[in-house]
Amino acid sequence: MIPGEITPRLGFAAVLVLVAIWATPFAWMLVASVRPGAFGAGGMASLVPDFVPTAANFAEAWDSADFARYYLNTILICGGILAVQIVTISLAGYAFARLRFPGRTFLFYAFLIQLMLVPVVLLVPNLRTVAQLGLYDTLPGVMAPYFASAFGTFLMRQAFRTIPQELEDAALMDGARWHELVRHVYLPLAKPSLIAFSIVSVTSHWNEFLWPLMVINDPDKRPLTLGLATFTRGAEGAQAWGVIAAGTILVIAPLVLAFALFQRRFVNSFLASGLK
Amino acid sequence: MTFHWLRQAKGAALGAALLAGIGSAQAATEIELFFPVPVDGKLARDMAAMLKEFNEKHPEIRAVPVYTGSYDETLIKTRAAIKAGKPPAAVIMSANFLTDLAIEEEIQPLDPLIEADGKTPDAFMGQFFPALHGNAIVGGKVYGVPFHNSTPLLYYNVDHFKEAGLDPEKPPQTWDELLAAAKKLTKREGERTTRWGIMAPSNYDYGGWILQALTMSNGGLWFNSEYGGEVFYDTPSMLGALTFWSDLVHKAKVHPAGEQKGPGVSTAFLSGQASMMLLSTGSLTHVRDNAKFPYRVAFVPRNLRNAVPIGGASLVQPVGLDEAKRKAGWTLIKWMTGPEKSGWWSRATGYFAPNMAAYETPEMREFLGKNPDAKIAVDQLRFAGPWFATYKTVAVRKTIEDELQAVLSGKKTPKEALAAAQKGADELMRPYVEQTALKLPATN
Amino acid sequence: MAVRRRLALPAWRPKGLLGLALLAPSLVFLGLFTYWPVLQVLWQSLHAEARRQTVFVGLGNYRALFADPAFAAALVNNLVYALGTVVPSLVLALGFALALSSSTRLNAALRAILFLPVLIPLVAASSLFLFIFLPQVGLLDHYLAKLGVQGANWLGDPDVALWSLMGLTIWKNAGYYMLFFLAGLQGIPEESYEAARLDGANSWQRLRYVTLPYLRPTLSFVAVIALLNVVTQVDHIFILTKGGPSDSTNLLLFYVYQQAVERYDLGKAAAATVVSLALLLALSATSLRRMERRTDAEEAR
Repeated sequence: MIPGEITPRLGFAAVLVLVAIWATPFAWMLVASVRPGAFGAGGMASLVPDFVPTAANFAEAWDSADFARYYLNTILICGGILAVQIVTISLAGYAFARLRFPGRTFLFYAFLIQLMLVPVVLLVPNLRTVAQLGLYDTLPGVMAPYFASAFGTFLMRQAFRTIPQELEDAALMDGARWHELVRHVYLPLAKPSLIAFSIVSVTSHWNEFLWPLMVINDPDKRPLTLGLATFTRGAEGAQAWGVIAAGTILVIAPLVLAFALFQRRFVNSFLASGLK
Repeated sequence: MTFHWLRQAKGAALGAALLAGIGSAQAATEIELFFPVPVDGKLARDMAAMLKEFNEKHPEIRAVPVYTGSYDETLIKTRAAIKAGKPPAAVIMSANFLTDLAIEEEIQPLDPLIEADGKTPDAFMGQFFPALHGNAIVGGKVYGVPFHNSTPLLYYNVDHFKEAGLDPEKPPQTWDELLAAAKKLTKREGERTTRWGIMAPSNYDYGGWILQALTMSNGGLWFNSEYGGEVFYDTPSMLGALTFWSDLVHKAKVHPAGEQKGPGVSTAFLSGQASMMLLSTGSLTHVRDNAKFPYRVAFVPRNLRNAVPIGGASLVQPVGLDEAKRKAGWTLIKWMTGPEKSGWWSRATGYFAPNMAAYETPEMREFLGKNPDAKIAVDQLRFAGPWFATYKTVAVRKTIEDELQAVLSGKKTPKEALAAAQKGADELMRPYVEQTALKLPATN
Repeated sequence: MAVRRRLALPAWRPKGLLGLALLAPSLVFLGLFTYWPVLQVLWQSLHAEARRQTVFVGLGNYRALFADPAFAAALVNNLVYALGTVVPSLVLALGFALALSSSTRLNAALRAILFLPVLIPLVAASSLFLFIFLPQVGLLDHYLAKLGVQGANWLGDPDVALWSLMGLTIWKNAGYYMLFFLAGLQGIPEESYEAARLDGANSWQRLRYVTLPYLRPTLSFVAVIALLNVVTQVDHIFILTKGGPSDSTNLLLFYVYQQAVERYDLGKAAAATVVSLALLLALSATSLRRMERRTDAEEAR
């Protein structure tokens, strides 16, 4: 390291402080989730455990919702949306990037309208459509409005366009059909964009609350967010903070674990090729 | 050929279905009950258990409990379901939405079902506390059956009372006594207040309700309970109530400034940082389970009279239901609001049971014997009146809650706040007023 | 088969058809869940609905919208909120990525912590922050009091509430954006840094002249996501403040929600949607156009 370069170290120290701040809510959650009776004399906010830990909050949170099933439903929803999206966005991305057809520019801008729509206003029209398609109270009903993605299409188009035309020409010379081309040339080369899009897609649907609340009635089809909401939102001023903390930990633990275990490999592989 | 085969197959399936139908008397009518969770997740489980029992006792009906979030979200989901052509057979709806929903013709009167049972609507409603009728009957018709209800209540910390030299046996009964007690209970370290004498929630929904309690205690009315197009915001009784609350904050400094949220108030009370609070009877179970100190409850203190609004929820039926679902939903509604279930739900939640006969059951007597605080909540019902409910209730309420929050944050005086609130509310209700009270015969 | 071959189309036709055919799956879903509802919204914005009856009101809803001070307040709030969250989140995310770019075990752990908020559904995160922001008893005030600082009524004071929500948004999103910057950083060839070092560039100069130019594509990508997030995600407002106190945290989307749900004024809600749609379209069209021009340039190269 060149002498006189203190800034990176100072910067790293600052980042450490910020990481500590970022972690504080989680630290509190961990402490509160095992605190017996979440209303000690004013010490509820304390981050220092001064009590014998209890599993009562976890037991109550676990009992109040069928988390295993909700997890499965959320995974099905996020996975199903993503699987269909990958197909629709690769096809559309390829068409916009490499094919010429009437109305291309117009259609491209027409796609982008989807990005700007305010979900709340769409609740009623979309629910009506979902009901008419016979998808009311089904998981595909939750997924259907997201099967097409303007954002994904845009990303794939950008990625495909940076792939040299020569590659396509060479493949075409070998007699490859367009779908072989997309599958074997374009998609592998656009992997970073695909991964980036997957993260965006999964995180947004993972979080979603209002739309599944509208579509799903059957208790067995609830996603995690609905299960969590049953005990995070009391109507008349009563909040059992310990149970909320325990429930939140239950919900995020598997994901956190997966992220902690795989994140180095995950980040590195995703990073290796860089994001355009 | 193929068609013929298909028809045969269909015929066979139909026959099998008919046979199966004969076997089990008749196919069960499937209905849905939309319910918000009023206190915590444990109750979602209790609700599921209750419907399971209902289904066992009524094999001809299969009712599914559908958790629908908060009261607001329940309203959104119900409206969306109606528009999508999938209305639920019964909804537990916040009691003050009923007037608006009835005006918009989104829920239907229950009178025909009551009469089909051979009862008069008056006799049917007679089983519920009189204070609850105002929010269930709109324009002379029964639109809702009270399910769980509440009133505001004064909670106080007995240890703090003793420490401040106050008698826990004699809680403050008037506004003057409340102010005096709050002054003694407030503790300060220099500029910092370490313990507040009193706290009351002022977030949307809750703030309007508490302000209504104060207004009623001050002799006022808040709204015209007979007509959905009038509120009495810019009136002396309301001005007095808002000024009292404002003075607790800005003059006496015994109540924190700014908007306070319900969970914040209960948490401050339970952790000993507030000595008294005005909160719903619906929080009784939560406080009982979590208070590490002796606490008591009392009536909301009065200025001119003891009076409080009711809160809570009623069971309603949306429009657009077919006859079978309507009837099945009605069976469920009657079963859930009967004395036994009403009492059981009350003991589980802390809400009081709207069905008066519930208090005659042995379980309820035993429970009240053990929990005198729950008895005080029921006693206060004698002084209760209807919850504000107008055309566009939520928006009309928000006009004054925005002003209340501005007053508590020191941004406006009570006088100018109420004038602004009245103006906003009149503006909102004008379309309805023009169609009803100001509707003139066509002149030409 | 034979028939089809005989009718073989000129070379450009199949390609034109192919293009449309590839768009078809997307267009079906866009048609059902974007264009059809948009048409309904447009229609609705010209009508008023009351007591299950609908009447044509022309531009009445739009006039009412622009006359509503709450709408103007929501616009201003949204602008403050957008600037106050997008810029800090991006700067923090970039800082995090730069500091943690090498994959050591410690860095991996630190990254994981920064990424944690992304994994918490907003429904749960909001409950968590409701506690953190509680006056007096909450996490923030508890520790501020230990430092002898008088806390604030974080969500209950109209002057403070929006800033508290911005803090929550930054906390929730910075780690997310960091991930994309980390990816972008990996794409910078080591030689560029070597060359800069040989020229005697210090760390600031290397950041300014090597790192940032390489990161520009990532930056515009993240900026677009951040912008869309700011406008389309209001769950925390829904749970924490409902736009209050006194409309001080009311954002555009929440305003639409209020009109649609609380006031049940579907016409005005539709009009507000159309207006915000137009605004957003203009905004993101510019940033997308910039991203696009760059790709065009690359393609030309």
